[in-house]
Amino acid sequence: MKKIKINLTINGKKITLKVNPQERLIDTLRDRLKLTGTKEGCSIGECGACTVILNGKAVASCLVFTAQIDGSKILTVEGLEVGGKLDPLQQAFLDHHAVQCGFCTPGMLMSAKALLLKNPHPTREEIKTALEGNLCRCTGYEQIIEAIESVTKD
Amino acid sequence: MYNYDFLTALKIEDALYYLDRLEKVKILAGGTDLIVNIHKKSSRLPHFDYLLDISNIEELKFIALKKQFLEIGSLITHTQLIEDTLIAKYFPILKFAAQTIGSPQIRNRGTIGGNIVNASPAADLLPPLIALKARVELVSPGGKRELTLTEFLSGPYQTKLQENELLTTIKIPLLNEGYLANFQKIGRRKSLAIARLSLALVTRIDSENIFQDSRIVPGSATPYPQSFPVTEGAVNGKRTTDLNLEEIGEIIAKEMISITGKRWSTPYKSKALSALVIRALKEFISKAGTK
Ligand SMILES: Cc1cc2nc3c(=O)[nH]c(=O)nc-3n(C[C@H](O)[C@H](O)[C@H](O)COP(=O)(O)OP(=O)(O)OC[C@H]3O[C@@H](n4cnc5c(N)ncnc54)[C@H](O)[C@@H]3O)c2cc1C
Ligand code: FES
Ligand code: FES
Repeated sequence: MKKIKINLTINGKKITLKVNPQERLIDTLRDRLKLTGTKEGCSIGECGACTVILNGKAVASCLVFTAQIDGSKILTVEGLEVGGKLDPLQQAFLDHHAVQCGFCTPGMLMSAKALLLKNPHPTREEIKTALEGNLCRCTGYEQIIEAIESVTKD
Repeated sequence: MYNYDFLTALKIEDALYYLDRLEKVKILAGGTDLIVNIHKKSSRLPHFDYLLDISNIEELKFIALKKQFLEIGSLITHTQLIEDTLIAKYFPILKFAAQTIGSPQIRNRGTIGGNIVNASPAADLLPPLIALKARVELVSPGGKRELTLTEFLSGPYQTKLQENELLTTIKIPLLNEGYLANFQKIGRRKSLAIARLSLALVTRIDSENIFQDSRIVPGSATPYPQSFPVTEGAVNGKRTTDLNLEEIGEIIAKEMISITGKRWSTPYKSKALSALVIRALKEFISKAGTK
């Protein structure tokens, strides 16, 4: 198995890597770069815990091979905080008790962030659609939706 | 652990070069079916020595209006189908079907080409595409050929794609005045197979309010999506005011059973399928009435 040379920009930082053909984006993030904020739940695209933003769009990082995305820009949950200040979405999740065990939170935040990047004032329905691929076993979703709504209403 | 080399194609030409010279090459597009199958070590996945990534071939990412057809590049994602203005104008049925697929994460990566070639009984773009009489263009180092989707699909998870062929373009003939289209889906792909069902219906109602050229294609009802000619024949030639909806509901259920035989899910699916066809026809009839 030949390794493949890949350039990526992750949370604004340029890196060059040699990856093997089996390496998924989630493996690159967690195992190689120690960006363990991104979680692995189901590994088959169904839970959304591994969601990151790839070139502006929410994707399941368990369903992308790193070798496929040479030259791409990736935003992970670690990249949300800027200059020591939490992203408004992160603050809102805290304020609205949208975090219980926290396992789904990074994925929820990235799906919400992808939505707001495209549509800063979404309706409640649009928020629900954006979270369709993110499962939460704890909160019942209501607090998460409220947290996102609070950021979109200013 | 699979053992394979990774190949990147940035042009159709590169992909054909590899398909020509190497054997046991598996094509990778958005990966939402294939990477799941690799992860699960699915028995459906044949052995391969090379994974050929086509996901960065820009030439395959287009939606273009030609004289008689709307042409869609095989790498167009479900999200792009939903957001494209030509799709919204000419084939909103495809937009509705794409909206029901998975989640944003899946729609952002999954492609129309992958949905077709994977040929799942539950592939949501297949019923509307078959009902629209879509054709697929297959390119190999030796040349090009074009098949209707009905010719292309050969069984559950099976197509007539040759080892060295690439699906490049989906061509959908434009519909004339008077055509109506409807897509409905119940249940989610991952829900219990029994609860999952869809129906695409395309038809024309002529100036005398008579149904013509009906195309009726259920999803998740048969081993792979296919048209229901008996039901189509029962609708065609009927005036909107004379169509016996209950009877059409019975005919479509019988036609399904004639293909699948009786299964544990049959009592539920026949009722649900009848309800879907009746709902679609009622909607068409009320639309025709308001014209
Ligand atoms: C969580 C989840 C939910 C899903 N929900 C739905 C749903 O609701 N409805 C639905 O229909 N599907 C669903 N899917 C399935 C999947 O997303 C779609 O079928 C998707 O369109 C596949 O496209 P892809 O580009 O990801 O294909 P890939 O996984 O890259 O490829 C699929 C197959 O097609 C072949 N292939 C792909 N492109 C070409 C080409 N251009 N030429 C030749 N061969 C090619 C590959 O070799 C492979 O065999 C879901 C998947 C997941 C993981
Ligand atoms: S771990 Fe990727 S979607 Fe569940
Ligand atoms: S907070 Fe526990 S899964 Fe969402």
